[in-house]
Amino acid sequence: MKAKISTEWLSGCSGCHVAIVDLHEKLLNLADEVEFVRVPVLMDEKGYPEADIGIVEGAIRSVHDREAVEHMRDSVRTLVAFGTCAVYGGPSGIGWLHDSESVFAQVYDGGPTNAGHERPDAGAPRLEESVVPIDEVVEVDFLLPGCPPSPYFIAAALRLLLDGSGPKLSKRTVCSGCTRKMSRRPGTALRKGAVTAADERLCLLSQGVVCMGSVTLDRCFSPCPQKGVACTGCNGPSLNIIREPQVDYRGVLAGTMSFLTGISEADVKAYIEAEAKTFYAYSLASPAIYKKPTVELREWAGDGHRHD
Amino acid sequence: MITIQVDEKACVSCTLCVDACETRVFAFNDATGLPEVVNAKECFGCLACSAACPANAIDHTGVPHSMNFYYDLHSLDMLSKMTGDAADAVPAIASADVKRGLDDLGARLLSLGAVLSATLRSGLPAVGTFAGRTLANQLPRYRVPKNFEEALALAIEEFAPAWQLEPKVSGDTLTITVKDCFLRRLAQKHNSETGGDLCTLFYHYLAGYLSRMGKVRLRHTATERGCDACTYTAQIHPS
Repeated sequence: MKAKISTEWLSGCSGCHVAIVDLHEKLLNLADEVEFVRVPVLMDEKGYPEADIGIVEGAIRSVHDREAVEHMRDSVRTLVAFGTCAVYGGPSGIGWLHDSESVFAQVYDGGPTNAGHERPDAGAPRLEESVVPIDEVVEVDFLLPGCPPSPYFIAAALRLLLDGSGPKLSKRTVCSGCTRKMSRRPGTALRKGAVTAADERLCLLSQGVVCMGSVTLDRCFSPCPQKGVACTGCNGPSLNIIREPQVDYRGVLAGTMSFLTGISEADVKAYIEAEAKTFYAYSLASPAIYKKPTVELREWAGDGHRHD
Repeated sequence: MITIQVDEKACVSCTLCVDACETRVFAFNDATGLPEVVNAKECFGCLACSAACPANAIDHTGVPHSMNFYYDLHSLDMLSKMTGDAADAVPAIASADVKRGLDDLGARLLSLGAVLSATLRSGLPAVGTFAGRTLANQLPRYRVPKNFEEALALAIEEFAPAWQLEPKVSGDTLTITVKDCFLRRLAQKHNSETGGDLCTLFYHYLAGYLSRMGKVRLRHTATERGCDACTYTAQIHPS
């Protein structure tokens, strides 16, 4: 008998659903073993049919999201938080910085592109006060972060969930898959902003660019740093950052960069704090990050006003 | 006996581990571009190399980890769900471990209180207030109270079970009675008097939290200490 898979999308971009299609010919092999009973991007299924595996992408942003994930939990045996939004809140998680009233005020009352300044009171699900990852609302059985996760890891996770065979998923960081060479370059200056570096074979950290590869879990095979784009941490924190309560992105990146380049740790930390909305963009709504020594995270990343 | 494994495929040849190790366990082999364990018996399991490794490529076996009391259980729970590896699952904590952890925390609080009072006696209220405001900032935004009454209701919930609060507002006067108190139990256990520096810290911690959450300023006017309860009185001013 074929295993049944049901999927649902919440507050996200649907990119994770598209990533399932990126399995290409593996999808055909998969079709021999599984039957998709609910896929919003492909099928017009309004209910929540019983299934063995439930795949949920997106964070909880509105009342609809909360109800949908509860229906999913009730109708499937194994629930997978699929993609960074479901696991950590993702970019939607930036809503964690503001209450829903100020989000409405910013977008509808004062938004320059909203001519009538009318609020959508009817016909749209009510926003919740904040944004939370789905495991804050229901019990989740498997977490597959990634923005989106690489098809290799999607196939490996499904293999593991279908019959428990196949390798466990990687515990490495993005650095481990990057071909750039990490070596010491004392005297390098800190380079701020969305910049790349001249040497294509040398690690971006060694060239003064803050790349988050060393603090990010590998669910992607490091495409960005190898093409000269600094890692933004879209797969969420690496396992040692999740495990150790006192370890945070800032400290690890500052330590590594200062060893490689001689830039002072304080400079790197100050830069990360000033640009916290970028460096914490994918994971700030998760207690795995905001319960760390990141007590001022809301002030670094928020509107910049202090309350006292 | 501690053994160290280096995942050679993951290693990025940065030499951070060689530099991080205080006891010179590693030597870097320039020919292979990998660190070699040359002095394994000197390793005392500080895990500085693991923490420094950008590729998470160094694993130790035989290192006694601290009790998972100190870890965040939700985060530990995420690990095995992320790799599918049962070895990463959360080990169970016995209630004896929790008790040991709490005793340890109590002892640390007492020594912290002693250090603070010796170094910054007059600054204690400021330390307490800062800690309270930090706590208020840290709570998820969906619990923002709409007025001071809601802030008080939330505080009762947040401070339980360590502190049992009974706040009362009449006019612009706030009276908070603290009945069951973690600090009083601690003082009784260690035969010290209540009303010391930790109590000062606690009041300002609570006041800092309340003033941030309730958007008011609180001016402390009186403290009454009884054997079963302490009562703090403060004037409420709009912020």
